[in-house]
Amino acid sequence: MQINPSAKHKLIRNSVRHFAETELAPIAAEIDRNAAFPLNVIAKMKKLNYFGLQVPKEFGGAAMDSISAAIVMEENSRVCAAVGLCVAVHNGVAVYPFLQFATPEQKKHYLPKLASGEIIGAFSLTEANAGSDSASVETTAVKKNHEYILNGTKIFVTNGGVCDLALIFALTNTDQTRLQSSVFIVESCFSGFLRGELEDLCGMRANPVSSLFLEDCRVPEKNLLGKLGDGMKIGMTTLDNGRIGVAAQALGIAQGAFEAAVKYAKERQQFKKPIASLQTIQNYIADMATEIAAARLLLYQACSLKDEGAPFGCEAAMAKLYCSQIASKVTSMAVQIHGGYGYSKEYDVERYFRDAKVTEIYEGTSEIQRLVIARSVLSQLTF
Amino acid sequence: MLNLVVCLKQVPMVTELPWDEKTGTLRRDLAAGMMNPACKHALEAALQIKEKFSAKITAITMGPPASEEVLREALALGADEGILICDKLLAGSDTYVTSLILTAAIKRECPKFDLILCGAYTADSETAQVGPQLAEELDLPAAAYVEKLEIHGRILRVRRLVDNFRETLEMEFPALVTVSMENYKPRYTELMGLEKAFVENDVIVLGAAALGINASLFKNKGSRTKVRKVFLRKAQKENVILQGTASAVVTEFLNKYQRKISTAIGKSIEEKKLNDEE
Amino acid sequence: MMKSKKKSIWVFGDYRNYYQNRVTLQLLSKAVDLAQTINAEVCALIFGHEIDEWIMEYTAHGADRILAIDDPALKSYSTERYLAIIENLAKERDPEIILIGATDFGREFAPRLAKRLKTGLSADCVGLDISQDGLLLQIAPSFGGNMLAEIVTEFHRPQMATVRPGTFKEIPHNYTRKALVERLPLMKKLPKSRVRLVEYERSVEKEHTIENASVIVCGGRGMGNKEKFKKLHDLAKLLGGDVGATRPVVYAEWADHGALVGQAGKHIKPKILFSFGISGAIQHTAGLGEADFIIAINKNPQATMMKMADVAIVADASDVLKTLIKELKKRIRE
Repeated sequence: MQINPSAKHKLIRNSVRHFAETELAPIAAEIDRNAAFPLNVIAKMKKLNYFGLQVPKEFGGAAMDSISAAIVMEENSRVCAAVGLCVAVHNGVAVYPFLQFATPEQKKHYLPKLASGEIIGAFSLTEANAGSDSASVETTAVKKNHEYILNGTKIFVTNGGVCDLALIFALTNTDQTRLQSSVFIVESCFSGFLRGELEDLCGMRANPVSSLFLEDCRVPEKNLLGKLGDGMKIGMTTLDNGRIGVAAQALGIAQGAFEAAVKYAKERQQFKKPIASLQTIQNYIADMATEIAAARLLLYQACSLKDEGAPFGCEAAMAKLYCSQIASKVTSMAVQIHGGYGYSKEYDVERYFRDAKVTEIYEGTSEIQRLVIARSVLSQLTF
Repeated sequence: MLNLVVCLKQVPMVTELPWDEKTGTLRRDLAAGMMNPACKHALEAALQIKEKFSAKITAITMGPPASEEVLREALALGADEGILICDKLLAGSDTYVTSLILTAAIKRECPKFDLILCGAYTADSETAQVGPQLAEELDLPAAAYVEKLEIHGRILRVRRLVDNFRETLEMEFPALVTVSMENYKPRYTELMGLEKAFVENDVIVLGAAALGINASLFKNKGSRTKVRKVFLRKAQKENVILQGTASAVVTEFLNKYQRKISTAIGKSIEEKKLNDEE
Repeated sequence: MMKSKKKSIWVFGDYRNYYQNRVTLQLLSKAVDLAQTINAEVCALIFGHEIDEWIMEYTAHGADRILAIDDPALKSYSTERYLAIIENLAKERDPEIILIGATDFGREFAPRLAKRLKTGLSADCVGLDISQDGLLLQIAPSFGGNMLAEIVTEFHRPQMATVRPGTFKEIPHNYTRKALVERLPLMKKLPKSRVRLVEYERSVEKEHTIENASVIVCGGRGMGNKEKFKKLHDLAKLLGGDVGATRPVVYAEWADHGALVGQAGKHIKPKILFSFGISGAIQHTAGLGEADFIIAINKNPQATMMKMADVAIVADASDVLKTLIKELKKRIRE
């Protein structure tokens, strides 16, 4: 596992940071205030391969290693978490299942368009009655001739308002003894696919999160992803990967807030000196720096294991758990260091505080992450 | 096929001037580096030429080992090869010496160049001298502050705005231009294919010996100019704070500073008595 | 072979755009000052066609001697020809110092000349002096004007510097002054210009004036919206100045790219800078090192820009702008 960034990783970080500072920084506050998804900047990002980070070259992707991909997501989120979320979800949980489970025909048909961003993807598992209890989905998929007819409602779908394609988890067998769910590739142009209103959220406001309604939605049978009944398997595998993306987002948010806090502490004078010279503030800064450094190592470890082809679910859960928790902590501390100004929208730090919280919730709450980690530990025979 | 040479410089990314009060020097080693903005425009001009015509781009830079980063960035953007001139002997060279060294490297590695592109000036030293001095050393026709380049066979046609004149100039290859920041907006680095930029052999490193430059050049008489002192331009600002309603602060401000402003604008500003309200 | 025993300070006659471009007169004035310290004569170089007007002006503004070449071949400025001419003259006459105005032309010409003469050059100086050991002290800015360097050319002659227009004040003209005018012939073997001027036209565009503007009114995101931002133009007009903008503002298309001030935009050197609703990100302030007097208006007294200012007005930027325009309209007398 590498600790020092390679020259390539440094170039990636600098390039993405430059783009983010130039294109995202000037609009981040405004799009958060207006909950407006910045289509024109997203269009630029598509051209620069942000939507095909780990897609193989043959399908027009950037074929990056996982640390590189994490750096991209981190640097986006460091400036504008809502856009970072769009990129992370598209790459991490919409594209990834195609890489792992799609047939050659499905890959050929969808991956190039996903990689170029011509299709923006979404992953929808969550329902009103199925959050952490993902097995309790109620959306159904009934086979009829050569199609599946889907009925149900998915909520809190990231990218929902703009996605061209969503991976929908649906029950394909209501046999009480053995619930079977499967995953369907549903394009927004299929009949019976409807989007709900955009959610009015505390943070990540510029991301078009919405519900998706499936009303006798007709999905061709060739759009079944994997085999019938693979729902649980695809879900678990995908969320393992998604965790890396969330950890990267949380890390980026923490990093951005941390930098702002340090800068402010050096400038703000009270008692005739910069507050950065006060021991209390120095303690906060030390804690934040250490937590971020530790979070980064956990994230890169999970990335390394994934690239080695080793099981990485537990490490990814640790990274997600820790990164999201410190993100909430660091952003809260950053607001505190800014004092009253931190509470005002005049400064960006309150947005980071709002954006950070959801990283502890989506793609598996912190409670679920602990469950995953504990199960992994308890099932191990050697330590 | 056109042979283009782009001169790049890595300059400190000025997020904060890392100034050492005690020694009175700039801690360049503390500041992260970035490709000088004007050089980015020069590279962009070269890339656009390469897109239109068949061309090979050699990126060249002189600096400490970290400068290799800008060469790799140039490769990622589309340059074909990079030359890093790196040697402790060369540290602190002024533009006179820099142009000598760049000349030696260009003559050695890409003597059959058609066009050399430089940024108009650097964000740190801002002398805008290396380009013209390199042209002089190589005895090339040159134009500075170029905004637009057009190539017709062996003829280079450039457009620029200098001293309020919009000029169109022509010269024959081989030639040199310095590129202003008015045009050729630099493209962003694509995320695809970045590993291509890190192929070992694509960047060659040359030391002073390889360039046939010996130490005698660098005793006192190497650099022509010598920096005796550097200091922060600290304008001793009073930082007067005015607070209140818009009309109150404007009145207070004008009463205090109307003379200063009228001197600067060359018109007189009447004093208004406080009870002269409209 | 005329080798003056007295040292000679040469000032290049950059006479193009005369009425706005007064840098040669400014340099002559400084040259007179330096000449007194090192006991030298001030010599103006004028190469062109029909140059009597300049000969008169430069004499009236401080030149002791004029080296003039009047020839149709020199009708337009030509870097290559001037290089050849000055190289020749310098060989003959061994000047101690050559000063050139840092116009676009000067900044391109001087480095080549310094190379040709195998000597050192400082660019865009904002100060000149004579050091204790009799050398020309060249004070040049760097890092967007946030730093100044004192530079000398110890072992080579002539000592050369380009000087930023507006650095020195011209001496009032004195038409009773006399100078020794040498009308020299154009050298026989004049190099052919390898750079051909195909066409040119006077530009009435305002693009570049912000870098030379002495009053600048800058606005940032704190202006609120495009309408309110546009009002800055009214203030600029009243003050005879220019409008500058921060990157977020240019990005939001409240102003165009030519107004961008900062690291990636223009470095400005105004006497007075108004900074409305700007927080002061380093990418912007990196271009402000040389603003003489800064007035910042921002609701937020903690903003970096407020700390950098001579006067920090804590109030809503847009309100202050409106009020200031109203008040100035009442008070300004042309």
